Amino acid sequence: MMQNKILIGIAAVLFLGIMCIFTVSETEKAIKFQLGEIVKDDYEPGLYFKLPVVNNVKKFDSRIQTMDSKPERFLTAEKKNVIVDSFVKWRIGDVKTFYTVVAGDINQANLRLDQIIKDAFRSEFSKRDIKQLVSTDRKIIRDILIAKSREVAANLGLEIIDVQVKRIDLPSEVSSSVYLRMEAERERVAREFRSQGSEAAERIRADADRQRVVTLANAYKEAEKLRGEGDARSAEIYAKAYTEDPEFYSFYRSLNAYRETFNKPDQMLVIDPESDFFRYFKSQK
Amino acid sequence: MSWNEPGGGDKKDPWSGRGSEKGPPDLDEAIRSLQEKLGGIFGGGGNNEPGSSMKSIGYLAAGAVVLWGLSGFYIVDEGNHGVVTRFGKFTDTTQAGLNWHMPAPIEQVQIVNVKQQRFIEVGYRSGGAQQTLGSVPREALMLTKDENIVDVRLAVQYQVKDAKQFLFNVANPSETLKQVTESAERGVIGSSNMDFVLTEGRSEIVAQIGKEIQEVMDAYQSGIQITSVNLQDAQPPEPVQGAFEDAIKAREDQQRLINEAQAYSNDVVPKARGAAARKSQEAEGYKEQVIAQAEGEATRFTNLLVEYKKAPDITRRRLYIETIESVLSKTNTVMIDVKGGNNLLYLPIDKLAKQPVPNVETINLPQPSLSQPQPVENIQRGAVRGRDVRGRQ
Repeated sequence: MMQNKILIGIAAVLFLGIMCIFTVSETEKAIKFQLGEIVKDDYEPGLYFKLPVVNNVKKFDSRIQTMDSKPERFLTAEKKNVIVDSFVKWRIGDVKTFYTVVAGDINQANLRLDQIIKDAFRSEFSKRDIKQLVSTDRKIIRDILIAKSREVAANLGLEIIDVQVKRIDLPSEVSSSVYLRMEAERERVAREFRSQGSEAAERIRADADRQRVVTLANAYKEAEKLRGEGDARSAEIYAKAYTEDPEFYSFYRSLNAYRETFNKPDQMLVIDPESDFFRYFKSQK
Repeated sequence: MSWNEPGGGDKKDPWSGRGSEKGPPDLDEAIRSLQEKLGGIFGGGGNNEPGSSMKSIGYLAAGAVVLWGLSGFYIVDEGNHGVVTRFGKFTDTTQAGLNWHMPAPIEQVQIVNVKQQRFIEVGYRSGGAQQTLGSVPREALMLTKDENIVDVRLAVQYQVKDAKQFLFNVANPSETLKQVTESAERGVIGSSNMDFVLTEGRSEIVAQIGKEIQEVMDAYQSGIQITSVNLQDAQPPEPVQGAFEDAIKAREDQQRLINEAQAYSNDVVPKARGAAARKSQEAEGYKEQVIAQAEGEATRFTNLLVEYKKAPDITRRRLYIETIESVLSKTNTVMIDVKGGNNLLYLPIDKLAKQPVPNVETINLPQPSLSQPQPVENIQRGAVRGRDVRGRQ
């Protein structure tokens, strides 16, 4: 039974050994208690010793945690409701405070933080209108909120890394009226395009019509001028030729005119036999 | 290695193999055998052959130590980094290849893929072939500067640039990246106008979002490197898409109307130019024509005049007679002596004209009928001519 005892002895030593050491990893913070009293809380990662039973160790996640709160309604300066979704990035700053104030419970920490942040949000949002919130003042709000919450969070043993506004949305009943407005705006744009199109088209057509009229009129002008030139020239030619003997010209021209005028078989001439042409027709005088 | 030794069908593993060798796992029996071995180590009297027992236990211990040491070897694949911690404290980042660390429980290694392109999706989920159907309105819809709402879908690709930071600094880095992305995205889009987001501003916006995400992630020391931000889609939201499409159509309509008018113009103006050219050519032709005619006629007259002057009287008479001859030979001629008669002459000239051309000499003059006056229109020409003829007497 000697072996039995030895075995138990070794097991006990091993067990005690295990009881006497603990490790703190890179992602952890640890507190060592001695009979309930905190004796050390600033551990770097690594291997450490403790007394079994007398000491116990609690470890907490030292990484950056997220407090992703539920979207909530806030009133803006123009008394509009907006739905805001935000998140806070924090990590344990002072682990001792963290343990004592929120019992080292991340959920409880989040809950406390949420109240603080909401309050800060409310006051900042009520000072600004939607436009500022959505576009211009995001960074300002962020900085204000970080500064405000940092102080309070320190009391909880938390270190605020960042506060971000994720979403600023209009409530659905407002959204639908935004949609209506957008629709109306698009309609306006569409009409503008169409009527601008008609306008441009009308201009082009009118211009084309004008060009046609002007072109034709100019052509007419030119043509009349040419014709006039022709007429003038011919008149000149005629006059020059005919002034040599105007009387003979009238005679000659009249004859030509007779010939031209009465040259169709379905015309009928009723003639007085007394006319000069028939001088010899009745009797030789 | 002991588990490769032949002789046992199911003895692949030294520990479980030994267990089955000893029969059913019995605690008492296991303790007893351990007692025996341990007793050997401490030179206990219970054993018959202390020397051999010591030896075997020594081998066993040495083997265990060697095995323990060998278990410290590990392979880091290309594109991965190994992060070694000793009792939880970071000691080293190892590169690809065969590495050794002090075996558990002293040191531990976590292998992180630093080349792998990871990605997150904001505003949609691509799970499946139909990418557009996986919309997540809560993430996708956002306000713009001009208080419009747009539907934006974003994909962010990232790598781990620092395995140590990636492992140790942020709880749930990819979720964090998603939150940061959403926030940066909304910040950038919130400070842009809708038209800018939907049209020309896309690349600018993407660059800005990427920059902001990286800044924040660096501030968190998350060890994440954004490699690309892709705007999968930026659209007007579903309820107003019809109106937007109509506006786009309107733009097309505008162009169409203009093109149609241009076509009309292109048709009309050259035609007018053609017509104008015709007009001026015709006028030119007319001009040439009248001048030529005038010249011709004038020359003819001048030539004739020369001859006329030589014998005016006879030429005049000849011309007259020739002309009258020509005229009378071509027309229907009626000769009436109206000098003596004072009764109204009536000639149904229209009827005469319709008859085959009669011989002038054999024509039967119908009796003038007073009782049946013809409509004035029908006789007007004849009557007028008759009067003319009479008037000349």
